[in-house]
Amino acid sequence: MSIETIDISKRFGQFKALDSVDLEIPSGELVALLGPSGSGKTTLLRIIAGLEFADSGAVRFDGKDISDRSARERQVGFVFQHYALFRHMTVFENIAFGLKVRPRLHRPSRAQIRAKVQELLKLIQLETLADRYPSQLSGGQRQRVALARALAVEPSVLLLDEPFGALDAQVRLELRRWLRQLHDEIHITSVFVTHDQEEALEVADRVVVMNNGRIEQVGSPDEVYNHPASPFVYNFLGNVNLFHGRIDGEKTYIHERETGHVVYVRPHLLEIDRQPNGGSHFRARIKHINSAGPLVKVEAVAEWGDPVHIEMSQERFQGLQLIKNESVFVIPKDVKVFQSNEAVKAK
Amino acid sequence: MATTFTLRGFGFARSAKTEPVTTEKPLVRWSLIAVAVLFLGVFLFMPLAVVFASALAKGFSVYISALREPDALAAIKLTLLAAGIAVPMNLIFGVAAAWAIGKFEFFGKSFLVTLIDLPFSVSPVVSGLIYVLIFGLQGVLGPWFAAHDIKIIFAVPGIVLATVFVTFPFVARELIPLVQAQGNEEEEAALSLGANGWRTFFRVTLPNIKWGLLYGVILCNARAMGEFGAVSVVSGHIRGRTNTMPLHIEILYNEYRFAPAFAVASLLALLALVTLVVKSVVEGKSEEHEAELRVERIPEPIVVGPEVNAA
Repeated sequence: MSIETIDISKRFGQFKALDSVDLEIPSGELVALLGPSGSGKTTLLRIIAGLEFADSGAVRFDGKDISDRSARERQVGFVFQHYALFRHMTVFENIAFGLKVRPRLHRPSRAQIRAKVQELLKLIQLETLADRYPSQLSGGQRQRVALARALAVEPSVLLLDEPFGALDAQVRLELRRWLRQLHDEIHITSVFVTHDQEEALEVADRVVVMNNGRIEQVGSPDEVYNHPASPFVYNFLGNVNLFHGRIDGEKTYIHERETGHVVYVRPHLLEIDRQPNGGSHFRARIKHINSAGPLVKVEAVAEWGDPVHIEMSQERFQGLQLIKNESVFVIPKDVKVFQSNEAVKAK
Repeated sequence: MATTFTLRGFGFARSAKTEPVTTEKPLVRWSLIAVAVLFLGVFLFMPLAVVFASALAKGFSVYISALREPDALAAIKLTLLAAGIAVPMNLIFGVAAAWAIGKFEFFGKSFLVTLIDLPFSVSPVVSGLIYVLIFGLQGVLGPWFAAHDIKIIFAVPGIVLATVFVTFPFVARELIPLVQAQGNEEEEAALSLGANGWRTFFRVTLPNIKWGLLYGVILCNARAMGEFGAVSVVSGHIRGRTNTMPLHIEILYNEYRFAPAFAVASLLALLALVTLVVKSVVEGKSEEHEAELRVERIPEPIVVGPEVNAA
């Protein structure tokens, strides 16, 4: 089912949580709402679910306006950030809940419910834990039970609020791959909220970057990462070096002082060399080297005093044999320039 | 792992047992314990023992006949009736109030909370007087009720009303913090799964608050049966008709009939003891329940990924 939000605004007292948000989510896609805390992403998700109501604007499912329908009538599967499992029910009862509370006319038989729950337990690989209580499960297990519970009612839309936020790094990584695979199998329109850019870029078909109650950019992970539409998006999706700069015709200049333009460079797009190699470059002194991990992170100070972060491969680092306090040449390979007033807004 | 190790090195891990750092000298410890025991003995155990000893001072037959006296039986019946009405009413009020205050934001919420606490802060005698001023013959609504031949003051309805008022906060007070702490998420989950309001309440909210609710009801009942001040003002002390147990005890005592007075009093004392036992059982249960919720998660390697495709 496709989801559409039209001109949605929502205030909480003085705080403007959403400011006329228009969004279209095609049927069957897995979409990430990405943004810092307070950007309105969770509010938007809750409005789609019917757990919150917009002050103005409309929500449409498959083109049909459902703004006035309650959460109960929308038939969405919602997975809560802290799982919200029913603590006094076993895993089995939790998953069966949505089927058991259906009006008698539409309620499946006991055997059908049992079969459905078994099927879902198999899907989340927790068949042996059906009689456990939520308190007896690990965080990752609880998350999967919450997902199975939401899927049990065969929702037309699956909404997940920070689905991996409360898990430790290892489990997080495994679970988000699992979610991706699950989506590839069942193709249900899914929206998940996250503040973790890596998570959004890895899992989603499309990423919706939000800031201050507005949508900054919608696009594929590749688009938003490689072609950010605003300084905010550039900043939010990965580390970045900021320099004062100026565009003169075709060329971009990095300056020491305020110029009205800001130059954005990702750390991995800065190269270090001992020779200037003819092209554009500046001098810097190496302050600190962190070679633990797949990339070597180098902190340096530019000739005009600004700190510079540079990332390079282990091979390159081995080849260069850099040492602390050494003076080197830094060569920007790709930069992006925004007006400073835009950049200030993004901060 | 490394963190636990360092913490242990600083002595944090020992706090589970006796903590030498926070322990006083033996002299201080023993004198504090002695003061506590003495206090409890003089103010709690001795009076309790005196009640039962005095009740049985003239023999078991006097004890039994004091309880079987028609006036005593009438008082017991009236007390049970008042509690039997007040407790269910306050159970419903309390749950409704806790639900509203704990789950929703609305204008005047803090005022409502203050209002619920009012019976705690007002002297019971004043509570009784309020009803006399409203329903008494010279009261605001009194003449109307008198004209329709409905007796409230110096009659059973007045006693029930006063009891309801005085015991109003017990259930609500017990539940509000509990409901607030539990938040809305489980209810929202139930709603999004298609459950209606009543189902959500009976299958999700109620099971989560049941121990706290039972605890509140027990306290409410104890107070309803033991209430003296407010009931005394509205009752009129008509023997065999508007006397509750506490009032009956007072009358017997004022007539120097100590053995029967203490016999009836022993019933209330017994109720208190039963309440205490039930309360500690319930507390144990609810703590167990809480602890259950706090159980360390069971670490288990998560196998996700390839199996999904197989399934």
